[in-house]
Parts: sequence; C-alpha cells; structure tokens
Amino acid sequence: MVPGSPLLPAVRTRPWGALCSAPGFPSVRRVRAVGAMKLNEHSMAHYAVSGSPVDHEGFLRRCSSQGARQPAAGAGGSCPRYWFVLKGNLLFYFEGREGRPPLGLIVLEGCTVELCEAPQEFAFAIRFDAPGLRPYVLAAEGPEAQEAWVKVLSRASFGYMRLLVQELERQLCDTQLSLASRPGPRHWPHRAGPPPDRPPPQPEAELREGSASAGTEGEQGATRLPAPAGRRRLAENCPRGPAGMPLNGGDSPVSPETSCFPKLHDWYGQEIMDLRREWLQARGLGGGL
Amino acid sequence: GEKPGLTCALDRGSLGFPFGAQLPHSFLISPPVVKRRLVKLVVNFLFYFRTDEAEPIGALLLEHCRIAEEEPSVFSISFIEEPDRKYYFECSSEEQCQEWIDALRRASYEFMRRSLIFYRNEIQKMTGKDPLEQYGISEEARFQLNTHQA
Repeated sequence: MVPGSPLLPAVRTRPWGALCSAPGFPSVRRVRAVGAMKLNEHSMAHYAVSGSPVDHEGFLRRCSSQGARQPAAGAGGSCPRYWFVLKGNLLFYFEGREGRPPLGLIVLEGCTVELCEAPQEFAFAIRFDAPGLRPYVLAAEGPEAQEAWVKVLSRASFGYMRLLVQELERQLCDTQLSLASRPGPRHWPHRAGPPPDRPPPQPEAELREGSASAGTEGEQGATRLPAPAGRRRLAENCPRGPAGMPLNGGDSPVSPETSCFPKLHDWYGQEIMDLRREWLQARGLGGGL
Repeated sequence: GEKPGLTCALDRGSLGFPFGAQLPHSFLISPPVVKRRLVKLVVNFLFYFRTDEAEPIGALLLEHCRIAEEEPSVFSISFIEEPDRKYYFECSSEEQCQEWIDALRRASYEFMRRSLIFYRNEIQKMTGKDPLEQYGISEEARFQLNTHQA
C-alpha cells in the first residue's frame, strides 16, 4: 500500500472495500461494512481504564442468546465471566479486573434493560430498538447485583442524563427568579458569542487544570448567579445556563439515531481481538479480499 | 431537535486507526489531504460519512477530548492521552465553526455529569433541598460531589 495511492483510502478505511463494491456480494457488504467502521479505539480504551468516574462495575456472565455468536470458548464455557465497567452510557468489559485493554463495549443508547429468564439465574437482557441486533444477555451473581445492574443500566443513556440536566437547569432558573428580590449587582452581561470566562464545568478547562473538585465549581458558579433580572433577560441567558448547557430544544445534542447506533452496537458486540485477527488476515490476503 | 448534518472537510492525514490495527507511520500523509465528509453529532459520538453514503465510515467518542479553534473556520479534536494527534475539521464559515465547537464541548457525558452536579449543588445551596430526591437517585455514586475527576 502506497501513501497517496488512490487505493489507499479504500484499503485503509475498509479492508473489504473492494469486496464491498463488487456486485453480487450484498450480504458480505452488510456484515463487513459494519465491521469496517473506524473508531478512535485507542482513546476509547484509554477512557475505559482512566480515572474517569465509574458508575458501576462487577463480574457478569455473558450468555449467548438464541442464534447468536458464541462468546469466546475456553473462557468459562458457554457463559464466560467478564469484568464489566459502566461509565456513563458506555459499558466496557474486560478479561478480568485488571484486564487491559477492554475486550468490548456496549453503547447503551436505543436500548431497554429488563430481567429475563435465561439459561442462567439472575439474568437480564439489554435489548436494542433497532431491528436485527441481538440482545445481550448477562447474568449477575445474586439478586441484589441483578437488581442493581438493571437499575443503573436503565438510567445510563445519554438521553436520560440530558433530561435530568435540563430539568435541573430549569429548576435553577426558576429558583433564581423566585429569589429575584435579593439585591445585588448583575453578573450576566449579554454576550454575542460564547462567554470567554466560561464556568468551570467545561471539558477543556478540566483537562488543563486536572481534576477540579465540584466544590470549586460550585463556588465559581455562585459568583455567576444572576441577581435580580427580569424573566426575559434570564431567558436570554438561560439558554446557555450557568454551565453553558443548552436549554431549548434547538441547541440540544441530537436524540439517538438508530441508523448510526446499530453500527456501534454490532461493532462493539464482537471481541476486538477477534476482529483484529480477521483484519490482519484480510490484509495478508492482498488487502481487500 | 436534531442538529443538521453539516459537511466539513476532514483531514485524512490525521484520521484514526483502522479498527483493530495499529496505523503504521508511513500512512500518515504530508501535507495533509482534505476530504469532504458529512459529520453528525449523536449524543457523545461524532459520526462521519462519505457525502453520498448512508452508513458512517467512522465515529469518534467524545470523552476526554479537547476541542480547539485552530483558525477562524477550523477546529480540531484531540484526546488527552495523545494531545498531538489532531483531527481537523474545516467549516464553511466562522459561525458554523463556533457552533460546532460549542456543541462538541457540551457533547460529552462527563460534561453533562459535571453540569448536573453543579446544578444540584446550586439548587441545594439556594433552597436547602436536594432536587434529585424526587427521582430517587440521590444516592447514586455518579451524582455525588467530590467523587469525580477529569
């Protein structure tokens, strides 16, 4: 493969690029095209093991559901045990507690979590709304663990968090209004663009300064609380909120798109190591077939 | 409300690895080649498509990343463990560029978590009440103060 060659993009981004566009291979295209999606894997793996907050973790058995690909053999039979780590809307799983990098990732968007009667006791299933995606059936080690996992996974989606944030932001605005009789100088000059002195809860600032305690955020935020202001003026500024968070629907991040997430689900549903082997084999066979 | 997909030129020279394999250094192209891509922000992922295709060719997880304005119409995404590897995006206008920067900075789950903790703390200070109690989630670890670090 030569840098700059017209073949390079196809080969580099889609190992099966040549096969994808060949007529008469639609089924291969469906399978391979999904697997060929690129991701910032290195960053994801780093995020999985980095100091970012863990929302829940523990051992779970991953059971094969009907018609699904079997989990890796030799790892505890048909229901191998993995170490699962939930961060936000991302459920990573590892070979063991100290396993690095993660073996896989389940993106918890466009899915529901429910208890189920599986081959194993204390099982639950993550079922995706998009058609054609097999559910993940996982089994906890006891009823309390099962319940805890179902609860936390049910609330793990980005959409859920966003709703919460919007609700609290609205409450904060309302609270500020109801305290409008409090005297004090104004702290909300109208800004044409993004405020240069953005409040602390901002990824960039956090990364530069290392960990910022929530206490600091709170204090800095307090100085930015508006004192008396008319509802219209607050409404002008509320769309950004003290943390720069969007309030109205037009500014919000988009709702989950099932057209995109099946690709992620399917990709992450397979062990990364297995795919790496396949990719390397495909490369060895001439980079495209 | 769906953020409309905007067409941005993407620097192919700094695209990420093909999944499951290391990218040999010889594949990095200099000077960088610019490709037109359709870019779509969906929750904390940035998908990118060839402009005439319905399936994404790739996605970036937007956690632990830095969004920087490089030039008036150009922004970059980099990740904290590899700050020198940047994904460049050229927009059609400064305004569009700023829109994207704002949206991407707010797109991480971690950002939302920090915002939630911030609002909760503020409301608690002002009213003496925990706004999360009514949802029965006050005790969840992810919402606690002082337990989170970037």
